[in-house]
Amino acid sequence: MLRKVIVWGIVSVLMVGLVAIAETNVPETPEANVGGTLTVGLQSTLSSLDPRLVNDTYGQHVRNAIFDGLLTVGPDLQVRPYVAKSWEIFEGHTIFYLNEGITFHNGEELTAEDVAFTLNWIVNPENNSMLQWIFRWLKEVVVVDDYTVDFINEPEFTPYMPQFVTLTMGFASIVPKDTVLEMGNEAFNLHPIGSGPYKFVEWKSGDHITLERNEEYWLTYPNLDRVIFRIIPEASVMMLALESGEIDVSDTVTTQDISRLRKNPEIEILQSPSLRYVMLEFNMTTSPSDDIRYRKAVYMSVDVDAAVKAVYGDTAIRAYGTTPPILWSNDVEYLRDYVALEENDEEAKRIFAGLKAEGVIPEDFKTEIITPNDTCRRQLATIFATNLQQNGIDAEVRVLEWGPILQLLGRSDADPTLKDVHQVVFSGGGDGDPHNMPYFQFHSDNASLGSSNNFTWYRNPAVDTLIDKADTSTDQEVRRLCYVHAVRIALQDYVHVPLAFLTITQGVRARVHGFTVNPDGAIGLCGPYMNVWVEKQ
Amino acid sequence: MVQYAIRRIMQFLFVLFSLTVLIFILLKTMPGDPARVMAGVGPTQATIEQIRADLGLDRPLLVQYWRLVSGLFDGRLKAITYHKTVWSVILDRLPATLEVGFFAMAIVMIIAIPAGLLSAVHRGSLVDYGVTTIALLGISVPVFWFGLMLMLLFGVILKVLPVCGRGSVVWGLSFLTLDGLRHLIIPAITLASVQIAMNVRLLRSNMLEVMYREFINTARAKGLSEGKVIVKHALRNALSPMVTNIGMELRSLYAGAVLTETVTAWPGIGRLMYDAIIRQDEAVVFGLSLFVAATSLISYLVVDLLYVYIDPRISYD
Repeated sequence: MLRKVIVWGIVSVLMVGLVAIAETNVPETPEANVGGTLTVGLQSTLSSLDPRLVNDTYGQHVRNAIFDGLLTVGPDLQVRPYVAKSWEIFEGHTIFYLNEGITFHNGEELTAEDVAFTLNWIVNPENNSMLQWIFRWLKEVVVVDDYTVDFINEPEFTPYMPQFVTLTMGFASIVPKDTVLEMGNEAFNLHPIGSGPYKFVEWKSGDHITLERNEEYWLTYPNLDRVIFRIIPEASVMMLALESGEIDVSDTVTTQDISRLRKNPEIEILQSPSLRYVMLEFNMTTSPSDDIRYRKAVYMSVDVDAAVKAVYGDTAIRAYGTTPPILWSNDVEYLRDYVALEENDEEAKRIFAGLKAEGVIPEDFKTEIITPNDTCRRQLATIFATNLQQNGIDAEVRVLEWGPILQLLGRSDADPTLKDVHQVVFSGGGDGDPHNMPYFQFHSDNASLGSSNNFTWYRNPAVDTLIDKADTSTDQEVRRLCYVHAVRIALQDYVHVPLAFLTITQGVRARVHGFTVNPDGAIGLCGPYMNVWVEKQ
Repeated sequence: MVQYAIRRIMQFLFVLFSLTVLIFILLKTMPGDPARVMAGVGPTQATIEQIRADLGLDRPLLVQYWRLVSGLFDGRLKAITYHKTVWSVILDRLPATLEVGFFAMAIVMIIAIPAGLLSAVHRGSLVDYGVTTIALLGISVPVFWFGLMLMLLFGVILKVLPVCGRGSVVWGLSFLTLDGLRHLIIPAITLASVQIAMNVRLLRSNMLEVMYREFINTARAKGLSEGKVIVKHALRNALSPMVTNIGMELRSLYAGAVLTETVTAWPGIGRLMYDAIIRQDEAVVFGLSLFVAATSLISYLVVDLLYVYIDPRISYD
């Protein structure tokens, strides 16, 4: 059963209502700097421009420019108004009040009908949207009047803070109901119409997407005449394109090129701490990884600091827990000082020998460090395997492509094929709310057949209770304490060896101004808090 | 001739059918689950099952096979990740690959024929050593690295050519605009690099073989100029195996396109294949594999039939 409403006393706090006032802060740009074309390099081919269909970062770069979301996240990572100017929370539902006078690119006004159509389409199981699980808390959206919508929650979900964060994500962008119904989904996906700062012009599959300024944008006057997103799958070629000036922004910078590009006065390397967490996680349902002594010995076999530095250079920082340091519920000091383990080969060897003597680790024991096929995680897995071999454990690296790894990890904890899976180098992503990481990594909801996130199959009622309590409270201090303690309990069980938080690194030509890197990696060009402009060439 | 053509067409259909079965078996034995990849990280089992049902992946294998084959032939088979039909995805990308392939082939001809000829005629000379060494390098150097070096030199250092992409396109073709033509040069040279080297070596050895044949001596004895002997008599005979090779090389061009198009960000079917495999879009992989196989088979057939005109000694009657 998913999260039941736990403490109705907490709900009474929600019923008081919470109204946010529109407080956007679009930077002013001198008129002389309006105009020009910005070319952005993207590493992957897009599959969809309709925000209702998929949740991929690469497409999000483009959809952010075409569509507006109901809510947004401010520079302080707090939920802020966008299309919705304010909201009120009641028992089991939330009412959003929309800004008036917003028009789509075809001139139609954005109203409550469009908001309801977009979200109801996503949650309708028949439409098979990849986003349906993200909005699992939402039963339906009801139109109250032209500028008011009522979000009705599923009965087992009380309105809770994480759901507001899902409404800030690009996939909660609003599509025009009448236009979609008239065009059909397929045609709309190829010729999307939003209410965002830039209008769709053309999409040459695999090559580029061109957008132009929406002169009627309701929030501000977008600075750029045109934006071109070019698909350049090979990262080293992307770097060459950035150096030659063919692109102004690259959505990624290869680790080995960072120091060279930093010396180029024409290029600025921008970095932001991200919400992406890399860890070694243990299967808690099979021996010997279900034994805390084994897990601690594996942890002690590796100098994690050195490993992270060697593999990621300055594109990641050492992680001590699941919560990124940029989120308000982080607990870095405690986890670093009291939970993290230093490399101690002698102790690790002693523990492994003891476990072998007890029969917990069989004499002919062989284990694999499973990893997806990306360079950094392969290297991390190799470091673990090499150090384990030195400490008396016959370990080797097993690299799996994305499809097979999802299939393997998505199995039920009762699946006998999982008994030989002891540890996996994996990663998880959070959003602007601290809910995601502890919930998906440690909550029992995600540790059974039918879910595919808690790949450790870890179950701990105390952790569940704390996470549930945090998710249903609006008191930030209560939430912080609950998340902090839930993570402490899980990590003191050494369910993970926390490894790294990745840094989002993007390259920008010096002629580009007002560009910032978002922690979720999605490129934003114009919105409540930014309006990118370029120097004329 | 007609009987031969009919027999070859029947063979073609049989091979094509066998390929549909083979590709289907390969797809189904590939590790991973397309529904799970499509669903990404996080969905519930119910969502995955729903996707699987929508894609027909929960049906018996024979039904799935028939769905792919019939869907491909009636044009209604939809790509899993592209939200449109497989044919429209392939046809979107095909002009880019044909264009770069055609230009690469032209470059191969323009460079390989004179180079092979020179090398053979001046056998053992510095020119010969120079050409064979460069040809050896051309075969040995990885296409990936060669493409990157071209981009670095012409795109970043000299700044005379764009690094990557396709540039302006008119009626689906780049070379009709100056910008598009400039974008075409690096991918075409990259794709041509291996083929140039192979064809230089092939033509050189063919020429050397032909140059010592008696009819060449006869031609010389007739008092023909050396130029005429080489071009009209020797080259014509030496070209025949090269035409075969180029016909067969359509397959190599497709294979080369996967690498070249990925490196140079050229939006053709080579990159489409790479993307589709990574995304486990089995509809696109199936459709594209069959398309590539069918066009390669047709090219072999055409080359075989062309022999009659190239080499009068060959007859299928």
